[in-house]
Amino acid sequence: MYSFVNVHKRYGLRTVALRKLNLDIRQREFFVLYGPAGAGKSTILNLIAGTTKPTSGDLLRNGHSIVHLPPERRGAAMAFENYALYSHLSVAENLAFPLRAQGIVKAEVEERVRKIASVLGIGHVLERRPGFLSGGQRQRVALGRAIIRPADIYLLDEPIGHLDAKLRHKMRAELKALAEDMHATVLFTTTSNKEALALGDRVGVLNSGRLEQVGTPHELYHKPANTFVGSFIGDPPMSFISVSVEVDQGNCKLRTADGRIIGRMDTPPPTNATLKLGIRPNAITLSDTEMPETIPGRIDVIEHLGHSKIAVISAGKDNISVSLPAASPARIGDKVWMAVNSSGYHVFANETAIQRGIN
Amino acid sequence: MARITARKLIKRYGAVQAVHGIDFDIADGEFVAILGPSGCGKSSTMRMIAGLETISDGDILFDGKPVNDIRARDRNVAMSFENYALYAPITVYENIAFPLRSSGMDESEIDKQVRSVADKMELTAILGLKPGALSSGQAQRVGLARALVRKPAVFLLDEPISHLDTRQRYRMRRFIKSIHQEFRHTMIYVTHDQEEALALADRVMVMSDGEIQQLATPDEVYSRPANAFVAGFVGEPPINFLDFQSDGDRAIIIEGNRIMLSDHHVSRLAEIGTKGVAAVRPHFLSLGENSTVKFLGIGFITEELQDHNEIFVDIGKTRVSLITPPNQRVKRGEAVSISINPEHLLLFPTQ
Repeated sequence: MYSFVNVHKRYGLRTVALRKLNLDIRQREFFVLYGPAGAGKSTILNLIAGTTKPTSGDLLRNGHSIVHLPPERRGAAMAFENYALYSHLSVAENLAFPLRAQGIVKAEVEERVRKIASVLGIGHVLERRPGFLSGGQRQRVALGRAIIRPADIYLLDEPIGHLDAKLRHKMRAELKALAEDMHATVLFTTTSNKEALALGDRVGVLNSGRLEQVGTPHELYHKPANTFVGSFIGDPPMSFISVSVEVDQGNCKLRTADGRIIGRMDTPPPTNATLKLGIRPNAITLSDTEMPETIPGRIDVIEHLGHSKIAVISAGKDNISVSLPAASPARIGDKVWMAVNSSGYHVFANETAIQRGIN
Repeated sequence: MARITARKLIKRYGAVQAVHGIDFDIADGEFVAILGPSGCGKSSTMRMIAGLETISDGDILFDGKPVNDIRARDRNVAMSFENYALYAPITVYENIAFPLRSSGMDESEIDKQVRSVADKMELTAILGLKPGALSSGQAQRVGLARALVRKPAVFLLDEPISHLDTRQRYRMRRFIKSIHQEFRHTMIYVTHDQEEALALADRVMVMSDGEIQQLATPDEVYSRPANAFVAGFVGEPPINFLDFQSDGDRAIIIEGNRIMLSDHHVSRLAEIGTKGVAAVRPHFLSLGENSTVKFLGIGFITEELQDHNEIFVDIGKTRVSLITPPNQRVKRGEAVSISINPEHLLLFPTQ
């Protein structure tokens, strides 16, 4: 297990890369760091690899500080985003390099190179040099070189981010199966919502150097801790609308800016808090006539996504995304009434999620 | 505003031909996405429309008039690139005003135009900032605003949002769509991202190897792809391909399973011959024996994705993926049945 204890990381005087990070990466888990560019994902990898040091705080492996250890004694294997392959060696020799350095016999080296190349779909380019490969092939060689040898932890920095969509889809499944087979501990970074949810046993959501939430993909999607996680997990993204609360005999009604009831909660929210409702696009039912507890709107945009569509509906100052089946007859300009399914929305007070109770 | 026509359009770079004599017609005010992998000829095509590349052979016409010999700056075309090349030493306001100043517009009119476009692109609050202080999403909106403020007849966008995160991409898509709805330029959007193309465009031009594979509405390229390339390139998760052999003229065999075909498939099979590929979307496969046509497979991986699961299963030597409700899973190596409604099969000749 690797543990970050109150780790701060600054680059220079002003750039804060990580703020008070406390995080455990457990044995044999596939942990995904997910966040926008510049959130601090690569910094976390580099701290474990030993290519950079924390400004303050401690980093432990199985309870012992490793901050003072050189990179080669950290037990980490890393695939770099910029590949860092040996240009004068063939793909096979690049893959074999970490094994030869450990003195493994030739026949076994060849067997392992052949197997990993086959899993990664680069078996046919083993004799080529990196300069003669496509970007996607180079990325797979870099990934292969990182995972070919045993390591306490594999650090994979957006290892499939540069592949085309079809290959990324295929490699995602291969990587997950491979990690299971190897009983590997993996720390994987991505900016893709889908990769994070598909791969992670647990996912840490990072934003500007702050760890916003750690949980299983299911927890993050169904119980986002705050508006950032709510907006960043889920595709299409959650819509937010401002609401006010009206307490009526212990039953709290949530009203939109123009006074319509849109939801309810059991426990009153903190007084004077700014309240927002976060609504998933699949949690809204449209009708073309007014019903109780619906809000009116107009369809401004319709986006085709193949198997489904997204309608963007303006309601007063708010814009709300709604998922529709591909065959939906909805058209731009339609006036519609939106009902929010009671299980499909989240309430945030001052950007932090609060419990709604049983309603 | 302009209608754009290409006739036998060819682009050669030395001995290499990148665009092989394509024809298309884009209506005035239409929004067309040119979609394809890198090297398919999409950027060459767009750059010939913009006048940034010479036309090797054939013609491009704006409103029926050839523009082959008209310089880029005289075509009234605006272009926004992925690397939005803002002028670093001057403010956002001055960046947007720049194309207007060079056209000699008077100061009060410039101010009006800049503020109007800034308001639409939600840039009013950052007009005083310099490009270095902007987020990438903001910088892109400034790039778009600068292109828009010239009120071009044709607006070309080259992968403008491919590197943004999910939230920013949705937001930028809304901007681009609302710009089009408001100004009704003829808009051409070049991308390798099928989701962007489907979401934004009135019609999608799918290109591969310098040829147009299909030019049709998003619904048509998704539901009725013209060939196996289009079927494989459009759709997320990607469509599944399974090799088939014909068995008489009314049935096919896939991995040892005999499938009876309906009438429209029968005529299709007659065109294709004895061998081909059957394609089926992951949404149209289901776990279990709930249809007359089923395959035996071996479970590989289950991915849990927000409100559904994606399951990978090996049918013989072919790996397929299927979308299931969130409660369904397969274990590694587990024997499972996969059902398919044969109506949803698409048949293509082997590539």
